[in-house]
Amino acid sequence: MNLLGLLSIIGFEKPQWLWLSLLVPVLVAVSIRSLAGLDPTRRVLSLVLRSAVIIVLAACLAEVVRVRQNDDLTVLFLMDRSESVKGRTETQEEYIRAVCEDIPPNDRVGVIDFARGAYLEQLPMKGGYHLDPGRLPEMPNKDRTDIAAAVRLAMAMFPHDTGKRIVILSDGNDNMGDLITEARRAKADNVVVDVVPLMYQHLNEVYFDRMVAPTNAEDGEQVPIRMMLHSLRRTTGTLELYHNDAPVPLPPESSRVELAPGNNSFVFKLPVKGSGQHRFSAVFRPDDPSADTIIDNNRAETFSVISGKGRALLLSSDLAMDNALIEALREEKIDIDVMSAEGADLTLGLLMGYGCVILANVPANYYDDVQHANLVNYVRNLGGGLIMTGGNEGFGAGGWIGSPVEGIMPVDFEIKHKRILPRGALALIMHSCEIPRGNYWGKQVAKKSVDTISSRDFIGVLAWNWSPGGETWEVPLQLATNKTAIKARIDQMGIGDMPDFDPTMELALKGLRATDAAQKHVIMISDGDPSPPRRSVIQGFKDAKITVSTIGIGYGSHVMDQSLRDIAKATGGRFYACRNPRMLPKIFVKESKVVRRPLIIDEAFQPQLVFADSDLMPGMFQTGDIPPLGGLVLTSPKSDSRVQMPLVRSTKDGLDPVLAHWQEGLGKSVAFTSGYWTRWGQQWTRWPAFSKLWAQMVRWAMRQDPASDFDTYTKIEGDRGRIIVEALDKDASFLNGLVLQAHVVAPDGSAMPVQFMQTAPGEYEAEFPVDQTGQYIASVDVQQWSQDKGRHERLGFIDTGVSIPFSPEFRELTTNEALLRRVANITDGEVLAMDPQLDDVFSHDLPPTTARRQAWDWTVAWLLLPLFLLDVAARRLASWLAFSVFVEAVLIVFMLWGLDLIHSSLMGVIGVLVLAEIVGWSIRWRSLGPAVDALTHTVTALGHAGDRSSASLQHLKGTRARTQEEKTTPSARTSGGSQPEAPAPDTKARFDMSDQQANLPAGDLQENLGGAKTTPDTVDKRRKPASAKSDEKEDQDVTSRLLKAKRRARKDFDQDDE
Amino acid sequence: MQLDRIPFVLLFVVLGVVGCEPPPMTENGVVGVFGGTGLGEGEFSYPRAITAAADGSVYVVDKSARIQRFGVDGVFESGWQMPKKTAGKPIGLTVHKDGRIFVADTHYHRVLVYDATGQELARFGEEGMGDGQFQLPTDVAIDDDGFIYVGEYNGNDRITKWSADLTFVKQISPPEIAGLSMVRPAAMDFDNEQTLWVADACNHRIIRLSRKGEVMSVFGERGTEPGQLRYPYDITVTPEQTLLVCEYGNSRLQWFDKEGKSLGTWGGPGRDLGQLWSPWGATVGANGDVYVVDSLNSRVQIVRR
Repeated sequence: MNLLGLLSIIGFEKPQWLWLSLLVPVLVAVSIRSLAGLDPTRRVLSLVLRSAVIIVLAACLAEVVRVRQNDDLTVLFLMDRSESVKGRTETQEEYIRAVCEDIPPNDRVGVIDFARGAYLEQLPMKGGYHLDPGRLPEMPNKDRTDIAAAVRLAMAMFPHDTGKRIVILSDGNDNMGDLITEARRAKADNVVVDVVPLMYQHLNEVYFDRMVAPTNAEDGEQVPIRMMLHSLRRTTGTLELYHNDAPVPLPPESSRVELAPGNNSFVFKLPVKGSGQHRFSAVFRPDDPSADTIIDNNRAETFSVISGKGRALLLSSDLAMDNALIEALREEKIDIDVMSAEGADLTLGLLMGYGCVILANVPANYYDDVQHANLVNYVRNLGGGLIMTGGNEGFGAGGWIGSPVEGIMPVDFEIKHKRILPRGALALIMHSCEIPRGNYWGKQVAKKSVDTISSRDFIGVLAWNWSPGGETWEVPLQLATNKTAIKARIDQMGIGDMPDFDPTMELALKGLRATDAAQKHVIMISDGDPSPPRRSVIQGFKDAKITVSTIGIGYGSHVMDQSLRDIAKATGGRFYACRNPRMLPKIFVKESKVVRRPLIIDEAFQPQLVFADSDLMPGMFQTGDIPPLGGLVLTSPKSDSRVQMPLVRSTKDGLDPVLAHWQEGLGKSVAFTSGYWTRWGQQWTRWPAFSKLWAQMVRWAMRQDPASDFDTYTKIEGDRGRIIVEALDKDASFLNGLVLQAHVVAPDGSAMPVQFMQTAPGEYEAEFPVDQTGQYIASVDVQQWSQDKGRHERLGFIDTGVSIPFSPEFRELTTNEALLRRVANITDGEVLAMDPQLDDVFSHDLPPTTARRQAWDWTVAWLLLPLFLLDVAARRLASWLAFSVFVEAVLIVFMLWGLDLIHSSLMGVIGVLVLAEIVGWSIRWRSLGPAVDALTHTVTALGHAGDRSSASLQHLKGTRARTQEEKTTPSARTSGGSQPEAPAPDTKARFDMSDQQANLPAGDLQENLGGAKTTPDTVDKRRKPASAKSDEKEDQDVTSRLLKAKRRARKDFDQDDE
Repeated sequence: MQLDRIPFVLLFVVLGVVGCEPPPMTENGVVGVFGGTGLGEGEFSYPRAITAAADGSVYVVDKSARIQRFGVDGVFESGWQMPKKTAGKPIGLTVHKDGRIFVADTHYHRVLVYDATGQELARFGEEGMGDGQFQLPTDVAIDDDGFIYVGEYNGNDRITKWSADLTFVKQISPPEIAGLSMVRPAAMDFDNEQTLWVADACNHRIIRLSRKGEVMSVFGERGTEPGQLRYPYDITVTPEQTLLVCEYGNSRLQWFDKEGKSLGTWGGPGRDLGQLWSPWGATVGANGDVYVVDSLNSRVQIVRR
């Protein structure tokens, strides 16, 4: 690799440290003097190596990184699963699978599907498309398309070190996000977006463009229903009209319609009777089914709110129980509908048909989160009235603790004041890891249980913990006083694959036994796969009277329901075969409330009238008039001055609310904590004032009649809804300066505040986003400044709203290819043909990506240290031969292990060895000439070998004798004789001898091996005469003397060479 | 060259080598690792069973219901998909000495037999608790006479014996062993004395049975100390006739002699090489190396002891 190539694969995280390389000239300047003793070649070599050490050190400090270029590719397919491409999911899957058939081995494929939201279905991984055909999870909220959200998710999922390509399969009809902006972001990130337009063009189509009814009407009025049908071709069909889901008989001339191309208007007038919301819907049925492609847009709906006499709705769990109350209310001329509480679909449309709703001993788990939210919005934002009665399923005992409904009631369902109450204890055993998103659902339902129980109850969560592996209390059994902390701990759970139920059940049994709770219960969720518990464990639960309810969750036959069923049956719990995780929250609420039984006081008491002038029963009774009740559900009054509590149960622990009420937002709510009439209230139902009291309660809570002096219009303009209010007084004069406030409740139960602006004399407008299908409902609170009272005064409410009958997806008649092409153009992508034979999404035509990986540790180990050692060796290894061997060794080690060539082919290893030899021999070539001379010298000297050996032996003996003599007369050294003293033999045998010395004939072993001279005559030959003064100094400093001698010797040799 | 300088040269060389990083694949005897999370060739999605063939290849089944064959060094060779996987995935693999692969297709209540190329040769068993039926089969062991032994769990924890032509013979496991019924006989293997070693996983013990089902010995108790066990999910008789036990609960391997004396452990919970995360199986390859399925780490580690 050339230098440029090398530079392209390295980089620096902190390049400022490279300035350290400027030390190199300084080092060279200093080293030239300190290395003066070396021969020029070594001096240069040492300087080069030292400079290299400094440069490499600077590179390490600059955090050198290895920049790796990678031409591998990651392709993320984005599948459109919105309504406008309904039925084309499998086609998309087949295409992806086919186009991935010949995927290069290192390329990765990921899959994201999208509609309103985007979801990752396959992480980017090698090997192509791995999902099972037809097994993609159900796509929620298919009524909108947000391609931009899918692109955003894709950008987050790309590995950083591969090429990035997105392939969008869509009809391009994006009706939510900003795809163009997202495409520009993708371009900035070097992401190429190819598009596969899902082509269609509906040439035969009829759809409702709009359907409008007056928002408000008078009771008994003929309400005009206007509708506009849009047709692409001339066609005939039948128009059907429904009023509150009941078909409206239309004469044939009205129902038989012929549609011309374009818009076709129709108007029907329908009489409406009875207060509340009246829903109207229309359906068009073409005579020729082929004349209409999409049937989902053949239905439209709207509604009117009729002011007038209020109606009440009683939701009952047990009609026999509530019969006395129903009859009493009807006796008092209350217009009341009765509905079974279980299965009632508490939509806002239903609720708005009534002025007051009574939840008669109804548990919370009958309704989902949206329905709970609807109840809240009905009261708080739409002015409805809500009455909740007690019984074994009311208030806290019915699992309403933690529900948003608790927030709109005048009592808290928790017991706040100090009193000794039996506690409940709940243990959750979680083995939900076998279902998709199992950990998510496990945590959600566990938190639901925490919300449902009282803070005076115990709760704990058990699971098999993956790490380190074993059953454990993920949330130790504890009082639920700090629910936030408990839920935070639940969020940290890791729910693992439990081998058997025994250990967790034993832990639950042991933990629950140790509590003083009166009611102990276990909820266990699993696919039934763990080994069933032993009989002894089950017996332990039975003995301790601890019930275990089990929930079998998972795919069809995968769930081993039987063992779970057996556990529940043996311990007196309930078993649920649940195949849809969305059902889990209701089940957990239902089961969690089992431990709330202590909230029920099942004993007779005399209600006390403590506030006779309440709005609800102004001066109606004295305490003595009121018959006793047989029980109630414990609650606590809210600490709010708006709460009025006329009836209580008085005990030594304090006052328990029996009847409490307040106004919350625009509506009102009443809590009657007793009820359960056949068990607790038989004396009450026989009480003559019973019907009067209840009628008064319902009338008080009933929502106010809407103000009738205002005309209200609503419009849908694109993705915005608009409410227009025209305000006139009785003299038909404009009412200006009004304050109009409202919360618009969306179909999903969320409420958004809207601001009204006065746009013309007596005209006010507000706008809000509409991105859901269904009804948007609002009650507009109209207030006017009263000069007399010095404050705003309510003029009344206006019920209004708009209906989005079907998703805008069903208005799309053709593919928006232009948008998709534009996205491809922005990102340099292509428009693909959706032909696996032609489309090459894995073409490696993207610029290669780079990955930066830290390399300072490698640099230290394999560059800095070897260079340092080479530098030392260059200075200290006197022999070129030895130095060349050292260099060879370093090179071999560096290349085989540092560059990891040891794992290459045999030829690679041989190549390394050959290269090292070439370098080694190129260094030691200097030694070759002297070596040959030495060889010749040796051969010549062989003839005199005997003499030389004898002489040498004599010489050695003489030396030895002198040495011994010196040892025996140490004073001779210290007193300083007249003879110049020879330098002491260097027993450390330094490597500073010259090449000439190294290549001397073998005759004088002592000289060759030691490098230092031991005979005085040799020393004399090499030393210059010195003054007596300097001799004295040298005597004091042997080391410096030796160094000087060495330098002189070097100088002599250099002169000889010249 | 001057001989007295050789030590210095060697010292430099040694220093150079010592200053380097140690070779990566020697951590606690790990001489190889393969796999990684994914569904590509050679990748795993929570592998749960492993077996080694006489030719040196190893087979691994994971939670994508794929059986993959690897060379002795962990190089992917081939693979195939189980016919069904919706209800659940296999947790047992065994190679017959004739090369056939027996797969405990757990959640389909059957055993499937394949050749080395993935061609299905036979299948036996159906859902139930009676003769010839399985609840959730866990593993297969084959004796020298060709009889096939199948373990199962979930309310029907037993071992049944099948003839070489795949017909039901009888149930061999006794109803109680040392006072306890078997709970999840997760794995089995024969030694050279033709006795069957069973990992009674949820009782945290190892059982030695004769081929007739007579209990010859039992050892093990729940715990984390050497000699104790937590959820032994696999057992293999090594060529030296010691027992290699893979502990799911302790994330380790443990060797025993036939008397139940612990000969040592290896591993421990973690993600580094030399550590395991909820391992489901281990086997001894033809070259004597141990291959351990490091399930939650989605890899196989090759260990040399």
